Amino acid sequence: MGKRAHGQTLGVAVMSAIESEGVVLGGLPEAQLPAAPLRPRRAVVRGAAHRIAGVVFIVCLLVFMIGPIAWLALRAFSGLWQYPQLYPKDWTLSGWRQVFNDPNLRHSMRLSFEFAPIVTAASTVICLPAAYAFSRYRFPGRRFLLISLFATNAFPKIGLYISMAGVFYSLNLMGTFLGVVIVQLIGTVVFMTWIPAAAFSAIPRSLEEAARDVGAGPLRVFFRVTFPLAAPAILVAMILSFLASFDEAQGTFLVGVPNYITMPTEMYTLVLNYPEQVAAVFSILLAIPSVVLMAFARKHVMGGRLAEGFQLR
Amino acid sequence: MVLPPVAVIAVFIGFPVVAAIAYTLGRAGGPNSVVASLGQRQFIVQKGVTFDAYRDILSNPTIHRDLWATVWVTIVVTLVVVAVSWAIALYLRLTDSWLARTISALSVVPLFIPVVIASYAILVFYASDGFIKTVAYHLGFHGFPTLGYTLTCVTLGEIWVNIPFGVLMMSSGLNGVPNNLIEAARDSGATMPRVVRSILLPMNVIPTVIVATFTAIYVLGSFTVPYLTGPTAPNLLGPSMANFFNSFNQPQQAEVLAIVVFVLALGIGAVYVWANVRTGRRSGLQS
Repeated sequence: MGKRAHGQTLGVAVMSAIESEGVVLGGLPEAQLPAAPLRPRRAVVRGAAHRIAGVVFIVCLLVFMIGPIAWLALRAFSGLWQYPQLYPKDWTLSGWRQVFNDPNLRHSMRLSFEFAPIVTAASTVICLPAAYAFSRYRFPGRRFLLISLFATNAFPKIGLYISMAGVFYSLNLMGTFLGVVIVQLIGTVVFMTWIPAAAFSAIPRSLEEAARDVGAGPLRVFFRVTFPLAAPAILVAMILSFLASFDEAQGTFLVGVPNYITMPTEMYTLVLNYPEQVAAVFSILLAIPSVVLMAFARKHVMGGRLAEGFQLR
Repeated sequence: MVLPPVAVIAVFIGFPVVAAIAYTLGRAGGPNSVVASLGQRQFIVQKGVTFDAYRDILSNPTIHRDLWATVWVTIVVTLVVVAVSWAIALYLRLTDSWLARTISALSVVPLFIPVVIASYAILVFYASDGFIKTVAYHLGFHGFPTLGYTLTCVTLGEIWVNIPFGVLMMSSGLNGVPNNLIEAARDSGATMPRVVRSILLPMNVIPTVIVATFTAIYVLGSFTVPYLTGPTAPNLLGPSMANFFNSFNQPQQAEVLAIVVFVLALGIGAVYVWANVRTGRRSGLQS
């Protein structure tokens, strides 16, 4: 982990910090950060100032982060709403009716819910073994492969889809179900490999060895020991894959049109050609699966699993 | 076991990319024949290679402005995301109050929202009849500029989309710093800024590099945010690539742009790989 190395350099850093403190003391403003323990009484005033600054920051963050979503949500229920009114004059559900009565939009919703599970399942089957191999075996070319996985992520998606489209024409995959599945699958490979690989790496080898010592075969070890321990991370990876597929718009647009128009692809046309409420309603519908699934995965994503997956080892 | 995903990548990414590179260099045979038979304004050679397609697009003044727009937006977004996520993560690391918890919850909201929706919501929010203009109007700023369909709106949108990843990465990096290190330094009289500078900063270099590189690469290759929220021109290279492909029917030029962005992204990616290899080697020495 390199923690010890850090610790040593840190020790030096801390020491030098302490040594030079005599010179610096008083020169530096005390605790620019709030809630530092053991502050002098003088800092109480400053503490209040910090609190106010904190509240101002929170309000800005609230407006910046939630504002657009809330504003859009209002639109979904608004009737006549003219600038510069702060809120709509009257409320209506006509946008909702319009969405659910439009066969095109209904069809795209169904399609989205067909593609996403298929892509997630395919991605899991293809990538999980690789994730395990990356974490457990040191084979020649391992680092090269990890880095090329990363490189696929660095290639601009739209450029990639354009070059894929060229090849898809030759393979007769344009406008087919399989073509769309492949395009969406590409976007999930990195999640499905990196996050589970980090999870497998976090499981102590000794656990697996112990199971093997008492006579368990390799498959049994995997399914009784390794897999259950890595399951939360795998679930996170699957959820991220599901959402990546569900939200994928550019590639599906390029490959699937006109036969397979999923919800996010429909958004491109919706924004331009439909009344604003319809687009707003559709946005809310499209956001529901993300919100629900991310709420499930929240604890694990926040718990640093996402971060672990991004360290190349 | 590694074979299936590697094969998928090789067939559906590696192969197209190689074909795309060949195509931009003037080779229209094999997998490129279908695209080449449809495209216009192509520079094709039968033998050897030609850089005419690159010359053609890189001498295009519109592309110059797009390129600069892309570079500037990328730099600004990366700097802001790194700074804001550092600040938020640091605050979360050092305090545990309702304020901190609210900030933490707010900063990951974009994770829950598909990018298409986010772009649309941001466009509407900053549009000529959007919230910002409305509030400005009521506060007396009647001539407040409309941000919708400007590069500023693109920048704001990209920041919005990239903040959660930044905060999560930085938080997990800072949470890895043991409490007793900070306490030891505080006990010996180090001020908080000093602790940040001498302990937290050096121990959080890798997450910072990861956030910066991934954000920059994401912005360079992004399409949806600039397409929905940005101006017609100059816009980022993502939408202009799509324009060359769909509207102008010049696939070769679109591919050239893709390669240009890829090279830029690879340059940034090299920093990420270098930083990882460096720590990898360091930890290799340990064990």
